[in-house]
Amino acid sequence: MMTPLRFEQTYADDWAELERLVDAALGRKTGAGPAVRRAESGARLAALYRRACEHLALARARAYPPYIVDRLEGVTSAAHQLIYQQHEFGAARLKQILAVDFPRSVRHHRGYVAVAAATFLVPTIVIALLVYWRPELILSVVSSETAAQFEEMYSSSAESIGRTRNATTDWMMFGYYIRNNIGVAFQCFAGGLFAGLGSLFFLAYNGAFSGALAGYLTERGLSSTFYSFIATHSAFELTAIVLSGAAGLRLGHAVLAPGRATRGQSLVAAAREATVLIYGVTAMLLVAAAVEAFWSSAQWLPPGLKYSVAAVCWTAVLAYLSLQGRRAG
Amino acid sequence: MHSGAALDTVVTAETPEGILLELRPAGLTVRFYAFVLDWIIRLAVLYSAAIAAAVMRGLGMAFFLILLFALEWLYPVIFELTPSGATPGKRAFGLKVVMDNGLPVTAAASMTRNLLRAADFLPFLYGFAIVSILLRRDCKRLGDIAAGTIVVHERRPATRTALEHVDPVAPARALAPRDQAAVIALASRAPTLTAERLDELAALAATVSGDDGRAGPDVTRRVLGVAQWLLGKR
Repeated sequence: MMTPLRFEQTYADDWAELERLVDAALGRKTGAGPAVRRAESGARLAALYRRACEHLALARARAYPPYIVDRLEGVTSAAHQLIYQQHEFGAARLKQILAVDFPRSVRHHRGYVAVAAATFLVPTIVIALLVYWRPELILSVVSSETAAQFEEMYSSSAESIGRTRNATTDWMMFGYYIRNNIGVAFQCFAGGLFAGLGSLFFLAYNGAFSGALAGYLTERGLSSTFYSFIATHSAFELTAIVLSGAAGLRLGHAVLAPGRATRGQSLVAAAREATVLIYGVTAMLLVAAAVEAFWSSAQWLPPGLKYSVAAVCWTAVLAYLSLQGRRAG
Repeated sequence: MHSGAALDTVVTAETPEGILLELRPAGLTVRFYAFVLDWIIRLAVLYSAAIAAAVMRGLGMAFFLILLFALEWLYPVIFELTPSGATPGKRAFGLKVVMDNGLPVTAAASMTRNLLRAADFLPFLYGFAIVSILLRRDCKRLGDIAAGTIVVHERRPATRTALEHVDPVAPARALAPRDQAAVIALASRAPTLTAERLDELAALAATVSGDDGRAGPDVTRRVLGVAQWLLGKR
């Protein structure tokens, strides 16, 4: 008759070998003999793992003592992780995302992108026109000190455009833009979890704020510094904010209308798709921060040059999003 | 082991081999401790960076602000993608982040669960995260739900039953597999119980050794002897 002790005596050698192989694969110190060659040990590990799975099923079905079941559970779960884990990061994966997956995912989600773009642009234009028509309305968005500060930041006498006098160097602003703008984009994304409402709110809010600023500064006659400042980096920044909002809307839609899946499953699937967008958004915002800090703010560059570069950047971004990765398998 | 299913929060994940892996979700309290520890670590890093940044002026400020961004958003992602699958705070409390199927967390899932922190944080001080963790059996916050991840206790190997000093006793009657399992489970818990409690529990099982209605250290020894016999010592 097979008693727990006999069961253990019969198979303990297999289990011990599997434990040794798992430890070796995880790079733990084993103290055992010389390391086995990788390919051989991999095949051996898989075979021992399957055997241990059978033993675990037997041990559970026969209600063997916990220390045997626990030992088997421990070693099978460690081996399971080793055998089935996915390696989905690294340089090759990053290249694949930026060259194919990200632009493709943007096109795949064009409906969400359109809604996000409208949610951002309509408030921008409406508020800009309102503030241009009635400049005092700016005070309902920001305080009078902030309005004065904006005027100072974008006046043609400012040393660098787009910052207050005591903000020091380009490098510091680079850090500031990274922290601030990527944070805003991540918020637009995360807000989507609440049936998309958070994304819509952050998009409209940021749109309205930019619109108020643009309308106010145009009315003040500072349009040449302001527009030459924002023209270039907005190609990356505004697109990225809209795309992160679109990723958020994807989550919200999955929660609201899960289709034939459960809400949970639908959300997990949506999040997996949306993450690709977020990778791209992060890359675009890093570019935007660098452009904004080192190029846009330079007062000595003639506006004509800035507008030309801006046109190139906008064309490049839109072409990248609409054409890149179409041919790849 | 499975009899407590109604009370226990164990989550099972099935492997392709048809084995059910048991995951033990980590509750609010231990995750709060881990979070506080991580928070202290981040604060300490920021504090020393701030001192360095003050010396270096502009470039230092850039470095500081980028570090602030990285600590805010990427700190958990980077640590969750290491083999330990946990931030230093989680590791200190024996927790780790895994996928729902028990596999190591993927890069995309880790990004998702950590970016959605922003949603978990709402309306204030991780309000939604706390409600979600308290309400769900698998203790997931919103980010975990969307990413398909789960925070679990790392497994602690059970110690071998120390019954060497007990003489085996043949059971007084034929025992069903369920009864055998109960007697063996009692024996493996014996080292963690007080002698009095062990006597009480053994008295309930006294029929297996033919000591019906009696109690005391001798009965306990005989019940444990039956466990010894069932384990295979004859």
